[in-house]
Amino acid sequence: MMEMRKIRILLAKPGLDGHDRGIKVVARALRDAGMEVIYSGLHQTPEQIVNTALQEGVDGIGLSILSGAHNAIFSKIIALLHEKGLSDLLVFGGGTIPPKDQERLKSMGVGEIFTPGTDTREIVSYLKEELE
Amino acid sequence: MRSKRNLFNTDSIDKIRKKGEKWQRQVYPTEKQRQEVFKTLSGIPIEPIYTPLHLVEMDYLEDLGFPGEEPFVRGVHPTMYRGRTWTHRQLAGFGPPEETNKRYKFLLKQGAMGINGVFDYPTLRGYDSTDPEAYADVGRGGVAIDTVEDMRILFDGIPLDRVSSSLVTCQPIGNISVQSMYFANAQAQAVPFSELRGTSQNDFLMETAVAIAPEVFPPRASFKFSCDAIEYCTKHVPRWNPVSFAGYNYREAGCTAVQEVAFVLANAIACSEELIKRGLEVDRFAPRLSFFLSGHSDFFEEIAKYRAARRTWYKVMKERFGAKDPRSLALRFHVQTAGVALTAQQPLNNIARAAYHALSAVLGGAQSVHIDAYDEALCTPTELSSLTALRTQQVLQLETRVTHTIDPLGGSYFVESLTNQLEEKIVALLDDVEATGGIVKAVEKGWVHKEISSAAYEYQKAIESGEMQIVGVNCYKIEDEKLPVELFRVPETLEVQRAKLERIKKERHSKEVQKALDALLRCCEKDGNLMEVVVEGVKAHVTEGEITKVLKGYYGTWNPPLF
Repeated sequence: MMEMRKIRILLAKPGLDGHDRGIKVVARALRDAGMEVIYSGLHQTPEQIVNTALQEGVDGIGLSILSGAHNAIFSKIIALLHEKGLSDLLVFGGGTIPPKDQERLKSMGVGEIFTPGTDTREIVSYLKEELE
Repeated sequence: MRSKRNLFNTDSIDKIRKKGEKWQRQVYPTEKQRQEVFKTLSGIPIEPIYTPLHLVEMDYLEDLGFPGEEPFVRGVHPTMYRGRTWTHRQLAGFGPPEETNKRYKFLLKQGAMGINGVFDYPTLRGYDSTDPEAYADVGRGGVAIDTVEDMRILFDGIPLDRVSSSLVTCQPIGNISVQSMYFANAQAQAVPFSELRGTSQNDFLMETAVAIAPEVFPPRASFKFSCDAIEYCTKHVPRWNPVSFAGYNYREAGCTAVQEVAFVLANAIACSEELIKRGLEVDRFAPRLSFFLSGHSDFFEEIAKYRAARRTWYKVMKERFGAKDPRSLALRFHVQTAGVALTAQQPLNNIARAAYHALSAVLGGAQSVHIDAYDEALCTPTELSSLTALRTQQVLQLETRVTHTIDPLGGSYFVESLTNQLEEKIVALLDDVEATGGIVKAVEKGWVHKEISSAAYEYQKAIESGEMQIVGVNCYKIEDEKLPVELFRVPETLEVQRAKLERIKKERHSKEVQKALDALLRCCEKDGNLMEVVVEGVKAHVTEGEITKVLKGYYGTWNPPLF
C-alpha cells in the first residue's frame, strides 16, 4: 500500500503582536491530526514567510493575526506569492478579523478565515478537504 | 513559636465527621449528580459540601488573621473597601497619542480613577513607528510612542502629580524607553519625581516566555533591564511601582491559576535576589513590587487564588528574605478580567462574563480592576463598550454592597479549603522552578514555555470535548449570527507618527543625540543602570528605536524555544 504523503503546513505570525496562544494551539492540533507543521514563531515579515514557504515546499500557509493588521499583511503576502509564481498555494488565516474584512480577504484569494472560538477539528477537516 | 490552636475542638470534629459520613452514605444520592466528577478550572476536585472537617488544622490567627496584618489573607489594608474602594483603572490606548489623549480624558471625566495606558506593538517591543518591521502594527493594540514629544501629547492636560498612571509596558525593552519618557516629560512639566504615582509592567517573562518572538533579548539581558528599572525607581521615584509581575498575561497565554501565581512569585523572588545582590535592603524595594493577575471564569477558585497568593507571598518575604515592613509582606495586585474567556460570538454576553470576573476580583481583595469591554474579542474597544465596562465597575461598587464588610467569603469552608489547596500547589510548583535553577534558568531552558503551551492545549481540548462549556461557542450557538455591535477602526497612525518623527529629527541637536547614544553604550559596557542614562537621553529626543538599536548591538539576540 502506498503511504499517503503528509500535508505540509507553514504557520506564521507576522507583525509585532505577541498573542501567540492561538497559533501554538493550532500547530499542535494539526500535528496531532497527522500533518507536518512548520512554525517559526512571531515577527515574520511577509518576505520571510513566502521564502520559507518556497524552501519548505508546503501545501498551505496559515497566518494568525490578532492585531488588526490583517488587511495590510494578507495583501502583501498574496502579492508576493503571485510574484514567485505560487498563486496556487492555499492561504488561510485566523484571528480577530471582522466579517467585512473576511469577505475582502476571501475575494483577494484567501481560502478561509477562522475566528476566535473555532474548533480546531474544523480547521483540520478544512485542510484535509482542500489539500488531500 | 506557639503551637497551633485549632479552630474546632476534637469533640465537635468527631461528631461532624460521623454525621457527615452518614449523610454521604444515606442521604446524598451520588447517582443523581449531573456529572461524575466536579473540578475547578485548574483541576482541583470539588466535593459536594465543605464542612469544618476540611479545616481541622486551621489556626485562625496564624492562617487568616486580620486585614492589614500578617499573613494578609483577609486583605492588605485594615479598612479595605470600607475605607477606599478599588481603583477603576480602565485600559485605553490606540492610534497616535493625540487620539488616545482624548480617550483618557473621556474616561477620567466619566469617573475612571486612574490611567491604564496600553501601547502599540512596535512601542512595546522597542521599535519606532517608521521601522520597516512595524508598518502594519503602528497604532494597533495601543498608542504609538516614538519620542518624549509623543509622551507630552499623550498626557497633555492631565495633571501628572494628581492622576496615577499605569504604563502597560509589558516587555522590559519597551519599558526602558517609555518609562524614561514619562519621567522626562514629568520633569519638563516641573512635576517632581516624589509626586509621581503609577506603575510599569516591566516583566521579563513577557519578552522571553510569553508572547515570544525570534531575536528578542536574551533572558538575562531582559531580566537586567527589568531590575534596572526597579532599582532606579527605588532610588529616585519612591511612589512608583516599577514592576507589575504580569501573571495576567501568563494566564492569557495558557497558564492555569496555579501556574499564574507560581510564575509571578518565582519572578518576584528572582528580582528580589538580584536587587539584594545590588546592595538594596529588601524593605527598601519590596513595598513597591506589585502584581497583575487575571480574573478568570472559575469564580471561587479565583477568589481563593488571590487569597492564597497573599499568604504565599507573605511567607516568602518573611521567611526567605526576612522582610519586616508590612508593606513588603503584603501582596498588592491589579486584576484584569480574562480576555481569553471572552467570546467573539454573541459579544454582548461578555458584559455578564466580565462582571462575574470582576466580582471575584473584588471578593478576593484586589487593589485595582480593569473590566474588559464586550467587543475585545473582535476589535479595540469603542467608546460605548469602554464606557459600559467602566459603568460595570461603578454598579459593582455602588449598588451591590459587597464592599461593606472585609473579605466576606473568609471562613467559608469551601473558600478556605480551596485557598489551602491552591497554596500547596503554588508552593510545590515554586519548588519545581527552584529545582530548575530559578525562573531565569527555567526560561533559558524552555521549561516555562513548555508548561504554558501544554496548559493552553489542554484548555482547548476541554472546550472541544465539551467538558468545558462556553455559551455561544460550544453550546447555545446562533447560526449565521449578525454582529450586534459596531466595530472600532483604528485611526491613521503611521503617517501622523512619520511626520512628527521627521520634524523632530530635523529639529533636534544631532550632537546631543550622539552623545546620549554613546553614553548608553558606555553604560552597557560598564554594566551600569541603563535607566539612569536613558531618562537623560530621551530629553534630547532620542527615539525609542535608536535606544533599542544600541542595546541589541550590545546584548545580542536570542531565539526562544518554540512549542
